Amino acid sequence: MSEARQLPEDELFEVEINGRTCEAREGETVFEVAARQGVEIPVLCHDTRLEPAGACRVCLVEVEGQRRLQPGCAWKVSAGMKITTESDRIEKHRRVLYGLYLADHKLDDAGLPVETANANQLRMLAEKTPPLQLEAVEAPRRGRPEDENPYIKFDPELCILCARCTRYCDEIEAVNAITLAWRGSETTISTAGERGLLDTSCELCGGCIDTCPTGALIEKKAPQILPAHAEKVRSTCNFCGVGCQLDLHVVDGKVAKVTSPPVGETVNDGNLCVKGRFAYDFVHHEDRLTEPLIRREDGELHPASWEEAIEVAAKGLLGVKERHGSDAMGFVSSSRCTVEENYLMQKLSRTAFRTNNIHQCAAT
Amino acid sequence: MLETTAQRERVLKLLEEEGGVTEESVRRVAREANVPEAEVWGAGLFYTLINNPGDRVRVCDGLSCQMAGADALTERLESQGKTCERVSCLGQCDLAPATLDEQMKLVTYEGRPTGVTPDDPELPMNLGGEMDRSYAGLARAREMGAEAVIDELEASGLQGRGGAGFPAHFKWRSLRSQAETERYIVCNADEGEPGTFKDREVLLRQPHLMLEGLAIAAWTVEAKDIYIYIRGEFGNERRNLDRAMEEAREQLSCFNWHVVDGHGAYICGEETALLESLEGKRGMPRLKPPFPTEQGFRGKPTLMQNVETLACIPAILSRGGAWFKGLGRNEPGTKLYCISGHVKTPGVYELPLGVTLDELVEAAGGYEGTPMAFSPGGASSGFLPMDQRELPLDFKSLAGAGSMLGSAGVVVLNDTVDMAVASAWQLVFFERESCGQCAPCRIGTRYLRRQLDRYVQIGDPASLAQADDVGWEMEEGSICGLGMVAAKPLEAARKYFPEAFETRNSNGSSKRG
Repeated sequence: MSEARQLPEDELFEVEINGRTCEAREGETVFEVAARQGVEIPVLCHDTRLEPAGACRVCLVEVEGQRRLQPGCAWKVSAGMKITTESDRIEKHRRVLYGLYLADHKLDDAGLPVETANANQLRMLAEKTPPLQLEAVEAPRRGRPEDENPYIKFDPELCILCARCTRYCDEIEAVNAITLAWRGSETTISTAGERGLLDTSCELCGGCIDTCPTGALIEKKAPQILPAHAEKVRSTCNFCGVGCQLDLHVVDGKVAKVTSPPVGETVNDGNLCVKGRFAYDFVHHEDRLTEPLIRREDGELHPASWEEAIEVAAKGLLGVKERHGSDAMGFVSSSRCTVEENYLMQKLSRTAFRTNNIHQCAAT
Repeated sequence: MLETTAQRERVLKLLEEEGGVTEESVRRVAREANVPEAEVWGAGLFYTLINNPGDRVRVCDGLSCQMAGADALTERLESQGKTCERVSCLGQCDLAPATLDEQMKLVTYEGRPTGVTPDDPELPMNLGGEMDRSYAGLARAREMGAEAVIDELEASGLQGRGGAGFPAHFKWRSLRSQAETERYIVCNADEGEPGTFKDREVLLRQPHLMLEGLAIAAWTVEAKDIYIYIRGEFGNERRNLDRAMEEAREQLSCFNWHVVDGHGAYICGEETALLESLEGKRGMPRLKPPFPTEQGFRGKPTLMQNVETLACIPAILSRGGAWFKGLGRNEPGTKLYCISGHVKTPGVYELPLGVTLDELVEAAGGYEGTPMAFSPGGASSGFLPMDQRELPLDFKSLAGAGSMLGSAGVVVLNDTVDMAVASAWQLVFFERESCGQCAPCRIGTRYLRRQLDRYVQIGDPASLAQADDVGWEMEEGSICGLGMVAAKPLEAARKYFPEAFETRNSNGSSKRG
């Protein structure tokens, strides 16, 4: 899509969506053009970071001249193309398709797809277009209940096999820890040997959770249903210098879950790593240092002021320099520091203590 | 890049050599082919022969084998202490009921006569004649030049014999017009449509015609590499093919030939699923466009043709397109019709395209019992009642009747058959062979099979109240042809034989099933 935007003006042409003429460019999909026009085409298996799969069939639209309905997420527009996104045929298609999905899904007492802390887009679709009522199909899909990884849970009964997770793991992370396995109604999300994620190439980035539209993949340690008063606070991850943006889900003053801001909004483009997404326990941990401490002559750590602490540290360092010389010292900076902090650290090393023994833990 | 791709293409074969999918075999294959373990695992488990190898008797549960008593046979074998597995149509419908033994060797039981059209040199494929090793068509093609070959193909009107009936010359011309010069030829010998065993006969009786057709295709569209994807269960056919390739080594020497075994997945007969499988992946159909002629094997222009289509080509070039065209009735050429079920001499008969059922059955020795229904083109074509016996068995006429010629796997059912049960047999097939990629097919095939089972058990038509809507969505919403037609057997049976779907008492039907 970004390439298409760079095409010269003369590559622009007109298409018609629901009778309205609009501009489009070579290479764009029906979904992209429609979205720009404010025409909403429902999708489940679509994630703009991934190659369109056209697998969930939710986005089927009518394209003039095509006998069959075509997937809006993958169908490329061409000059003069006439597209219809709402019609009796499409309405019936959605009603029956949603009915089939529901016949293969965990439902609540109201007969709707179970809501999760990460919502359930199938539920939202079913609320909008009442599905055909069908008897359950009881597909023999296997999960991995023995998987002891601490972060990621998979519930096969909430899975719609859109393969966003496996495609994400392949196309975005290039980790390929999870895969579609078996065939037909037995198809499920699996790992080699059905091993727990800790015994695979999985890096536990949790991107599969993020892309899952139905909550079949979900955080193990976050609340399974977020209370209504949970608040979202935008923050910057402090684990490294990249500056990924985080949305902290705060419940009663405590971080209950971390997610990435939506795709396209921030530098991390919807992605996070294992630390950013899951390593937030330190925030409220009882062992966390919240004030400077100085080890006194009794051998114990005692609270102190910043001025006092810096003075003690400076004295100790200068003492080493005097006794053993500058090159007896070495400075190691943390990958959790920003570029500016790292700069200051090497300045401290080279200028204040006159040594080039400066290193950064992410440099090797 | 090519090296990586080529490595991945070895995955399925390596797994088969390992004896199937286990945690250890997957680890070794992943290391050997440098493909992520999870992908090897996912790909292997897709294919029945890799996922579930092992010593057991595989009993065919295709329609003709079911009618010939495959259930009773299974019980008998099991009572003899054998382990049995019910498998999708083995393409031995004329020999029903058929099984593969523990060593994957074909074993049949009935011993009734089967037939093939007697020797007639006027027939393009002439299955009953001497094996044609002349390669005269290839020589003629070289004299004519590529454009003239395609013109001749166009004049012949030859339609793809794999099922879609798409005029062959379009694809050939499209290949030649591609800017990309790395092009491939793929022969689809993954015959698996229940009721169909015509490609089997070509491979056994006239393999050189197919090889010659491939050589002509490769020469015409300027491709170097030819892939033959042959059904994994076809042991005899594969051996015969190897023998033929050895015999014709000289004639075939200008091309690189690759014979690739299928691994037990009907869906790989769908052309884009076949390509995925050739590339060592799960056989899940791709979205079209792009079509294989533009981006096929390895993303390059690829000409894909069915065995029978290719076998027609030598005669078209030797004797002319007009001659071939004149052999058919409303549509061009002769056609290999497979006929099985309740007829006296099941087999493969080469007849003018557009014969009626009665003409075909006459060639097959006549009906057995009182015919009630027929399935004109494999499971995908549903059923038709006998009052449509006058319908020409060609692509257009059958499509007009809401059915299809498909692979011309004709099965006759007489009045001893319970049509609800016969539909259920077909639905079992589609549920088992659905790739699982799209919801209409994955969930729809299972839904219909379960609801039909329920009806057969309790006799309450309410079980099927939503079947029409579900079938409609499967046709509208599925990615590929399998899902689009999977509801057809039930739909057609309910349409033409409504009495078989009325309220039944708990004793069920008096008919077989």
